[in-house]
Amino acid sequence: MKSSPFAIGLAVLGVVFLIVAALYALGVLQLFASTSSGPHFKHAILFAVLAVASFVAANFARPKTA
Amino acid sequence: MGLLQGATELFPVSSLGHSVIIPSLLHWSFKQSDPTFVPFLVLLHLGTAGALLVLYRSQWIEISRGFFTAAVRGSITTPAERLAMLLLTGTIPAAILGVFFETRIKSLFASAYVAAGFLVVNGVLLFAFEQLRRRAERRAALDTKPREEQELSFAQAERISFFAAAVIGACQALAFLPGISRSGVTIGGGLLAGLRHQEAARFSFLLATPTILGAGIVEVPQLFSTGVPLGEYLAAAVLSGLAAYASARFLLRYFRSGRLDPYGWYCVAAGVASLALLHFSL
Repeated sequence: MKSSPFAIGLAVLGVVFLIVAALYALGVLQLFASTSSGPHFKHAILFAVLAVASFVAANFARPKTA
Repeated sequence: MGLLQGATELFPVSSLGHSVIIPSLLHWSFKQSDPTFVPFLVLLHLGTAGALLVLYRSQWIEISRGFFTAAVRGSITTPAERLAMLLLTGTIPAAILGVFFETRIKSLFASAYVAAGFLVVNGVLLFAFEQLRRRAERRAALDTKPREEQELSFAQAERISFFAAAVIGACQALAFLPGISRSGVTIGGGLLAGLRHQEAARFSFLLATPTILGAGIVEVPQLFSTGVPLGEYLAAAVLSGLAAYASARFLLRYFRSGRLDPYGWYCVAAGVASLALLHFSL
């Protein structure tokens, strides 16, 4: 499935995941965490991986010029 | 504990189940609430992940190279690049489920009785995977051929679909239940996806490495908390790594023509025996 809007959507999703990762790492975001204070590095790493996967998927979905 | 963890992590018999049942049966004084218990488990897992990295060192170099090349180019051209993307696809569902549900599920079912019960279920699952594989062999008229020839008719890890990789990755969540084996469900998932036994085991081991390593590295700071006997724990981690390395070598050789059935029998027998021993407090 190769289309520019799809690729852009995936790239935006990647940026969102990166922001969420940073918020978990800084301890600002506590959503779905086992404790209600401090940084959550497991969650931060998960969202960083999701960001990388989104950027890779965006690059795959981008229409290539011959 | 190091030897037990390393050996049972890769065999399809549930390391978590054994680490819950055996200390109970042998009346070992391990307290899972002890603050040094998590760092201990972390080091054992790092030992196992280290063994897998050593075993597949050349493949991991190719996979890492393939990942970056394919990610930058935006297309897949070689088997190593495809395997890298399959492993990423399989790791994501496992990581999401692990981060959000693992601790809650493990704490709900952390009793020796439950672990013994799920060990029996694990055995039944292994038999079911093999029955489905035998059916596929009969359909392909392979049931009269020698075992090694039968196996060669099935695919290599690089050939499975991305959907199958994601499903196999998600199946790892079943192993949060003590008694259900992570390698058992991923090898079984690989068989259902049409892989050879040996390739299903290879995919399972490769898929385990980033998950185990990632989970271990995140917990490393806990090792430096006070009261952790780091020397003893490191010795246990080395033993765990050695046992994991030997197990992986054995299993890869065994699965050239072997099946999951013996492990299924073992799980059913060990589960039933553990239930009886726990019930009669022997």
